[in-house]
Amino acid sequence: MTELFEPAAFRTALRTWLDENDLTPPPGEDSLDAHQKQHLRVLKALYDAGWMRYGWPESAGGLGGPDILRAIVGEEIVGREIDHPGPYSMLDVLTPTMIDYARPELTADMVPRLLSGQESWCQGFSEPGSGSDLASLTTRAEQRGDDWVINGQKVWTSFAQYATRCVLLARTGGPETPNHEAITAFFVDLDTQGVTVRPLRTMHDVDEFCEVYFDDVVVPADRMLGGVGDGWRLAMDLLPYERSTCFWQRIAYLYSRFDALIAEVKDQGQMVDSDMGEAYLALHTLRCRSMTTQHRLGDGEKLGPDTSIDKVLLAGAEQRLYDTARDLLSGAIELDDTPWRTEYLYSRAATIYGGTAEVRRNIIARRLLDLGKE
Amino acid sequence: MAKDSDLDLLEDGLRKTMLSKSGPELDAALTELGWAEMLSDMPDVAIPMVFRLLGETGSHASVLNDVVLQSSRRPAGGIPVLPFAGGIQVVWERAAVDEIDRWVLDNSTALDVLGGLPLRRVDEGDLLRLAEGRRALAWWLVGSARAMLSLARQHALDRVQFGKPIASFQAVRHRLAETLVAIEGAEATLGLSGEENPDLTALLAKAAAGKAALTAAKHCQQVLGGIGFTEEHDLGHHVKRVLVLDGLLGSSRELTRKAGAGLRARGSAPRLANL
Repeated sequence: MTELFEPAAFRTALRTWLDENDLTPPPGEDSLDAHQKQHLRVLKALYDAGWMRYGWPESAGGLGGPDILRAIVGEEIVGREIDHPGPYSMLDVLTPTMIDYARPELTADMVPRLLSGQESWCQGFSEPGSGSDLASLTTRAEQRGDDWVINGQKVWTSFAQYATRCVLLARTGGPETPNHEAITAFFVDLDTQGVTVRPLRTMHDVDEFCEVYFDDVVVPADRMLGGVGDGWRLAMDLLPYERSTCFWQRIAYLYSRFDALIAEVKDQGQMVDSDMGEAYLALHTLRCRSMTTQHRLGDGEKLGPDTSIDKVLLAGAEQRLYDTARDLLSGAIELDDTPWRTEYLYSRAATIYGGTAEVRRNIIARRLLDLGKE
Repeated sequence: MAKDSDLDLLEDGLRKTMLSKSGPELDAALTELGWAEMLSDMPDVAIPMVFRLLGETGSHASVLNDVVLQSSRRPAGGIPVLPFAGGIQVVWERAAVDEIDRWVLDNSTALDVLGGLPLRRVDEGDLLRLAEGRRALAWWLVGSARAMLSLARQHALDRVQFGKPIASFQAVRHRLAETLVAIEGAEATLGLSGEENPDLTALLAKAAAGKAALTAAKHCQQVLGGIGFTEEHDLGHHVKRVLVLDGLLGSSRELTRKAGAGLRARGSAPRLANL
């Protein structure tokens, strides 16, 4: 089994397996429900065959091996458009968080359910009043005996309508506690009394994001992730995971869409070369940068503010790709309901979700360029 | 391979030399420091180090000739013909040359090069292998971009307006952040050794570096305001240098278009960076 820990051998074996085991989504099913069904089906097949367990520790139901193996699985699955990058990315974000912060028994019990597609989970961070300023969140958790009682509202919670559980940030400190020590994380079952999930209709007509309401939701104390006041640290540790292996598979997806664009525009001749070259240069730069990040993660380095550079490059390359599609495929977005329309519209959010372009630049200025406070 | 501490010493020595010498004097000093041996024995270390330092120090030497000759398997010490943007061809003059090269120089036309690089125009030339030369220039451009960012960053921290350092204004911070993103992105493209497709890997690295250097020039010029526009400030020197180096061996704009044409011919996008 450990011979597969070598990335090139692993990739070859995985590709062979994928060629022999057809996981292509059923044709013509473009609804979010169909995506979710396909997502769970793919995870189950990959988990049963072992692929989904490489790169995760045995304590979490994994088979061990370097983190890079996960990036390779993501690249193959999402790059072949077998699964969509959004749902798939939740694994790479939430699993490390559970491993680092949940009680070992909880991790051992829960993580295999996520990786094997028995369940989906979501991430309850943003609130109506707390977007870029996440530390100002007001959802409260109050201790009552052995339990915590949660009240408040989350928003932009991706795929909450399909999620069984939620990694939730709530305020536990009083007004005198500094923001960054006042937040605690919980692992909440979403079928608990008092939880209401309401999908939000977005500009691109996909109900990916949800509002989640918590009214006197009782959570047992053993579902706390880390200790009281560790929530901000958990969030800061989690965010670089959004920009590591997760990015590698998103990049694979963008390359696959770029291939589709090349096929659609190549008959237009050399008039497309400058625009296509620009998009390719942006994607290539992003891919090179992300590759160094994957290697750093694989070498056990702790990722930090430097991943803000990856995020700025990703958002830029993604919007460049879809701008190019709009420029070169006349009418494909405006006059016809093609996949380019949905994706073009979705790409407008790339500089907003996961930390806005402005917040990312603030972090680069403060933490990487050491420019002092604003 | 030399030890890290040896490389640090080498880098310090090179930096000091470049800060005090430029042009033919620097050529001579580099020869004495063993540039020819470094280039043949450890090009993967020597090229990034020497060219990045040329950018950082603002100095110049004719070492691009050596890189292009070596990668084209031509005898050392000559003067290769180098393409410039727009189909123009140039040579990079160097002081000590043999008869053949004298002939090349005698048949060239003097140019008034922005920032004073000793380039001369020629009418015809051989097709040479440019990948290594493009990588070398990309390192030079990245070095220049870092030099500009460093000047602008210090100015932003020192310059006080409205009662506070201008580094505290978001509009200024974001320009500098944008510059760092461009430089780090370009450096990442240079980190790829590119065995699978050395020509395309080098072409994209040169395009990314040229673009990053022009981005740095634009943002740093703006952050430096009036002082950056004076002759006494170092910024202008770097700005002029990167304008010329971007054009040499193909401009960012041209190389990008060329990459686009390649995509059309191939029908898909090469994944050059792989885990």
